[in-house]
Amino acid sequence: MNNLNYILPEIFISLSIMFLLILGVFKKKSSNLVHYFSIGFLLITGILIFNNSLDLNITLFRGSYIIDSLSSYMKILTILGGAIVLSISRKYLKLFKIFLIEYPILILCSILGMMVMISSNDLIVFYVGLELQSLALYVLASFNRDQLKSSESGLKYFVLSALSSGLLLYGCSLIYGFSGSTNFNLISQSINSDNHFLTFGIVFILVGLAFKISAVPFHMWAPDVYEGSPTSVTLFFAIVPKVAALTIFIRFLYVPFINVIDQWQTIIVFLSIASMIFGAVAAIGQKNLKRLIAYSSIGHIGYSLAGLAPGTNDGIQSSIVYISIYIVMNFGLFSCLLMMKRNDKYFETIDDLSGLSKHHPVLSLSMLIILFSLAGIPPLAGFFAKFYIFKSVIEESMYFLAIVGLLSTVIAAFYYLKIIKVIYFDEEKEKYDTDHSLWLKISLTSSTLLILLYFIFPSKLVEIVSRINII
Amino acid sequence: MLAHAIFFYTFSFIAIVSAVMVTVSKNTVHSVFFLILDFISISCLFIMIGAEFLGMIMLIVYVGAVAVLFLFVVMMLNVSQQKNQWFISTESSKHIPVGLIVSVIIFFELIVVIGGWKYKPNLVSAMSLNFDNDISNTHSIGYVLYTDYIHIFQLSGMILLVAMVGAIVLTFKQRSGIKRQFYFDQISRERKDSVEIVNVENNKGVKLDD
Repeated sequence: MNNLNYILPEIFISLSIMFLLILGVFKKKSSNLVHYFSIGFLLITGILIFNNSLDLNITLFRGSYIIDSLSSYMKILTILGGAIVLSISRKYLKLFKIFLIEYPILILCSILGMMVMISSNDLIVFYVGLELQSLALYVLASFNRDQLKSSESGLKYFVLSALSSGLLLYGCSLIYGFSGSTNFNLISQSINSDNHFLTFGIVFILVGLAFKISAVPFHMWAPDVYEGSPTSVTLFFAIVPKVAALTIFIRFLYVPFINVIDQWQTIIVFLSIASMIFGAVAAIGQKNLKRLIAYSSIGHIGYSLAGLAPGTNDGIQSSIVYISIYIVMNFGLFSCLLMMKRNDKYFETIDDLSGLSKHHPVLSLSMLIILFSLAGIPPLAGFFAKFYIFKSVIEESMYFLAIVGLLSTVIAAFYYLKIIKVIYFDEEKEKYDTDHSLWLKISLTSSTLLILLYFIFPSKLVEIVSRINII
Repeated sequence: MLAHAIFFYTFSFIAIVSAVMVTVSKNTVHSVFFLILDFISISCLFIMIGAEFLGMIMLIVYVGAVAVLFLFVVMMLNVSQQKNQWFISTESSKHIPVGLIVSVIIFFELIVVIGGWKYKPNLVSAMSLNFDNDISNTHSIGYVLYTDYIHIFQLSGMILLVAMVGAIVLTFKQRSGIKRQFYFDQISRERKDSVEIVNVENNKGVKLDD
């Protein structure tokens, strides 16, 4: 019974999913209520996780489920992300007439899946969590089914993701075959680098994971899915699943396969370099902001993978800091995107931004700060995020990775600066609506302030993250 | 040991060949036939290593439900006819020879498995896998399914719930202007609710509410 206390957050969130389903079905016109309730339940789940104390390190269910500082931190990030997504997307959903009870319920389901993924210490638990998460995401991608693009993106995501799940499972079965266990700790005891077939298993698993995190060369789905899905869902895609996928990357590489680091290190370096370069170069020609964000997120994933390459605790911590700051920046950027609305129509191309500064000085200023931060210009938060990554990479004298990272930062700065140029120096267009919801304003202001003022207390976040020790 | 190897290689060979045939055959119906053959061979492999429960579940779920459903869908969609027009023949009787071959192989496999049933203990003991012969398959799955793997079991339930919700979200359409029946209201209607007697004046007419 005592063990159930540790998985109380998961139990609570699954019960609240069922409660909300019943509430939504039996009470007419309850979308508003279900929406508020689900935000409240998410926050309560966050508190429950916090309550469990962050310094625990225990395994449950015969070692297949782990609660430690990494899982607690990442779960809190996931839940906060989900709650903010729900609170700022209300107006958008209402406008597109997709303000249904199923939307928050599916988001809760995928968050439950991510929590299981984050805490998994076993191949089966990991796969079940992954499947729960992605099944809800497929439906969310095609949520606006009256629109052709949304259905297309859902179908694309489903087909490609199912393929990658197949590869992942094949890898899992190879690992199981060669190590005789599905538990991560037992796998790490029974493998050694002499076994070359094991490398096949690692490669297959990494391919599947790289697909989920949209690292190059398994990124093809990302731009289409990001563009086609409703913007509020794109926001969810760009932020929350990345946290879970990065956690499982860390766990996979550093728990079962830590003894064979020379086998996977080159793969991670390649994934990271390819994502950084591709994310920077391919975004240059984009006209649609959502596509551009997709490419930029590919690039950012490249940087956070670079932190995993050195195989040190510092590297893991820098990559967790990176993903935390990335979340804040993306919330700001998407809040701007959700504010580009005129006469109940949303705009999402770069041309629509031209001359934004004339009518909306505050919005343009915060967009300027966010874009500078994404480009990594000091003293904004994005600079520090990249700084930690490069520091941990250079400490292990992986100079090539660091140099490529720096160069691709320069290339990526070009398209961020191009948007700023369009905002500030191009000829003005019609005014956008200003009747934004309070939550959207709070989200934009707080993320801008966090980015702007991060340099005053840079050690706070690092201090929290430094409690996460995997190795 | 030798008999074990022969059984294993026979079934695996059939399984691999039919898996390849699923992907290379140009006719979709044939693909489904080979899929069924593949599933049956794999379930024979399971039965051979002493996992009868898994083998039977494989047969019931995959062959009995999924593959037959597949076959129905493929036949309903009429893909094969289209394909036939693109390729060589136009008759649908092309399915018969392939179906015959597949069913003959399935028959052969069943004979091997049922015929080898008598020697199963010898086969199982010849393997390197070691397990308790006193507990039956179903028992041993039951022992762990609701104890060590309870969380996975419950999560699978959640996945099915999400699948159901997703299917409803993507297909359910609320149509307007539908005349629904409300039995209680209909039965409890009284005369005074629906009929009103009015004195109609000449050349004025009656004003109706709706």
